[in-house]
Amino acid sequence: MATTSAPLNTKLSQPDAPDVRRDERARSAGTGLAGWLLIVLVFVFSVEFACRVEDWVMYRMPILSRYRSLDDLVVRDAMGMHGRPNARFEKWVMNDLGMRGPPTTKTPAPGTVRVITVGASETFGLRESPNREYPRQLEDSLNAQVSRASCSRPEIRRFEVLNAAFAGMGLPTIEQDVRNRLAPLGAKIVVIYPSPASYLDEQAPAAARPDSSGQAEQAMPLRRALYPRALSRMREQLKQALPEVIKTPLRARQTRAMVAAHPPGWRFESVPSDRLAQYDADLRRLIGTIRRVGATPVLVTHANEFVGRPSADAPMLIAWEKFYPRATGRTIIAVDSVARALTIAAGADSGVVTVDAARTLAGQPLSAFADFVHFTDLGASVMAGVVRDGVVGAVCSAVESAAPADRGGAR
Amino acid sequence: MLFNSFVFIFAFLPVTYTVFWLLRTSRARYVWLTATGYVFYGYWNPRFCLLMAFSTLVSYSAGLGFLRWTDPRRRKLCLVVPIVVDLSLLAFFKYANFGLQTARGVAHVFGADVSVPHLDIILPVGISFYTFHTITYIVDSYRGVIRPTRNFFEFSTYVSLFSQLVAGPIVRFRQIEEDLEAIAAHDRRRWIQRGVSFFVIGLVEKVLVADTLAAFVDPALASYASLSTLGAWMAMLGYSFQLYFDFSGYSTMAVGLGYLFGLRIPQNFNSPYKATDPSDFWRRWHISLSSVLRDYLYIPLGGNRDGTWRTYRNLMITMLLGGLWHGASWTFVFWGGYHGLLLSLYRAYGKAWDALPHAARQAGMFLLAVVGWVFFRSSTFAMALGVLRTMFVPTSGVLVAQPALAAMALIAAGSWAMVGPNAFEMRHEYRLPGRLVLASGFATALAIVIGLRSSPFLYFQF
Repeated sequence: MATTSAPLNTKLSQPDAPDVRRDERARSAGTGLAGWLLIVLVFVFSVEFACRVEDWVMYRMPILSRYRSLDDLVVRDAMGMHGRPNARFEKWVMNDLGMRGPPTTKTPAPGTVRVITVGASETFGLRESPNREYPRQLEDSLNAQVSRASCSRPEIRRFEVLNAAFAGMGLPTIEQDVRNRLAPLGAKIVVIYPSPASYLDEQAPAAARPDSSGQAEQAMPLRRALYPRALSRMREQLKQALPEVIKTPLRARQTRAMVAAHPPGWRFESVPSDRLAQYDADLRRLIGTIRRVGATPVLVTHANEFVGRPSADAPMLIAWEKFYPRATGRTIIAVDSVARALTIAAGADSGVVTVDAARTLAGQPLSAFADFVHFTDLGASVMAGVVRDGVVGAVCSAVESAAPADRGGAR
Repeated sequence: MLFNSFVFIFAFLPVTYTVFWLLRTSRARYVWLTATGYVFYGYWNPRFCLLMAFSTLVSYSAGLGFLRWTDPRRRKLCLVVPIVVDLSLLAFFKYANFGLQTARGVAHVFGADVSVPHLDIILPVGISFYTFHTITYIVDSYRGVIRPTRNFFEFSTYVSLFSQLVAGPIVRFRQIEEDLEAIAAHDRRRWIQRGVSFFVIGLVEKVLVADTLAAFVDPALASYASLSTLGAWMAMLGYSFQLYFDFSGYSTMAVGLGYLFGLRIPQNFNSPYKATDPSDFWRRWHISLSSVLRDYLYIPLGGNRDGTWRTYRNLMITMLLGGLWHGASWTFVFWGGYHGLLLSLYRAYGKAWDALPHAARQAGMFLLAVVGWVFFRSSTFAMALGVLRTMFVPTSGVLVAQPALAAMALIAAGSWAMVGPNAFEMRHEYRLPGRLVLASGFATALAIVIGLRSSPFLYFQF
């Protein structure tokens, strides 16, 4: 049957054959194109969906979370600038007080000594594994030795460490936060880990302007939840994938371009004394505020990966310069070093227990640092150990109620 | 560089693939594959490229010697010298510290306290694999099984082919020679669907299955002393599937990559947990290694030709050395010996075993393999015995992290490994629904890859 009908059909349709073939080809091409389009759509959807499921599995980050970056974990309201309560982005989880760490209450439980750590990204924790940032390790460390840490006071049964820091927090903003927000939390100790390099920014740090407009309370728009997370991952991977031999010259070029865009003399070629005078004043003001709210301050000198290591890691210094293009790499290191001396002096003058973390970290392996200033799990554990000793010293000082000036000075 | 890395998937592979098919001549393609092999290898540590180049040169020269000389003494020299050189490099980089520590231990047993230095040696990735590539080439050339190539770049392509370079399969020259010879005549479109399909399936095995299992297995075994009996079983079952999907995933990706360049790389895993006895297991697990051990060690030792006891002896020697190949540790040697014993026992009492129902034999063989993996995974005998004690003596303790998710992952992985098809049993000709599934699997694995959490392959350490 087929053999007889085929030639007949072919013959009958011969005049239209090219058109039919063209139509078939077009249909087939259309179907093929639609198929590929569908595959691309499924691929894109699957990548994005898998990213979100993985974020949920790894960090319990909601599939439709509206927080897209670390910046979203900060809020500006009537009290100033501070962590956003109950926000979470990847491994960074804020509690209901807007602090990184587990849920807690406004007032400490009976028998609990509350310690608050303030500072910038080094305290907030950027590069450590979840729950390995130094404030968390400090809490573990204090509770592991609670009998020693409580100076034999039986009513102290536990230590609780609240992490009130966030990335980029300068001393004036911290002071404002202590005054407006942290005061009612009943902290006995406030550990200050200042970041002196922030005084090399274009403008010296100032307190974040409070915002009473009520915008902070408004929910973020839903469209933020639809921002593709796969894109952020790709961008991050691209950065990671570039070898250091390419990244370092690119960073250096960016810094040079920034310097070239400013008039001569803009760059700090040496330690700017006015900026450091402001650092000193801000630090002393913060100490005073902490005391006024009824807590005991503990000062910690700032550590970086270059201290005590004569063969400076040049690419890392160039990376640090990129963050503070207004200063040369050598100036940034020098500022950190002078600020250390100022911190120790402020501690001695004010009778504040001062922990010389800069010196302790200088004696640790380079692997304590994930970059120029941020800690790895190891570095955070060293930091927690040295700060623990300072906190114990401060608690014991309070117990002995001796004159503060007797216990000032570096440890 | 890892197959499951951003750099490999988005930069190395697209560039290597595109340029390869733009080149037209055999010579250009050999040179390109050799160069990319060295880039792939050097991405980890460029210094060790010299080592691979040296090994390649020595083995290539031996091949030329076989072509030139018929005199048995000279041919033997061409056989022995390069093998000694290759094995010496392997021994130095992989076993020097192990040998020194063992010598110290032996001296201690005899009452002599010898101070032995610890040499600061980095184990070059893949040295165990490319050493075996070159040795099989030399032995096969000596035996006349293959005709050595005069084309240096053809040979260097064989040794440094990135798809099989660092974790196998151990491809013998004769298995790939035909495709290498015809490298300029390959049709790009012929194998592309199969290549992509194998690569994606391997990526899914590694990234979605093995790495998911690793998320609860690694922390559990890091604190094995605190595990309960159920926790220890979950951890060891998880590790058994993790190891399989990790290594099988790598091999499957390697096969897929081979297809993309018109090279057919042989199967390395044939659903080993479907094995019903020890012999069957070794015909399915790391096939390329077990066949190399059989052809280049067991059979030359006499195989099963010289009576029962000699057969057992040969089996034990082969498996002990196979264990040692996996790592410079007595736990690996013990693991090899354990499998040698299983093979010998099966040889002696196989009839009784074979009388059991199929399901019982499969379950029994799987259980025996899991017990073996305890030694394979443990860094010390104390750890191995600790884990085994917890598994077989009811013990209270903790479960693995997120036990519900871990149980689901175990069931999924176990079903695929023990019942489901492996990549070679699947059809790789897809219509639209199949392509959608493949795209979805690739996308899901890719999401993990770009999440910066991809982990290296377990077999890299061997």
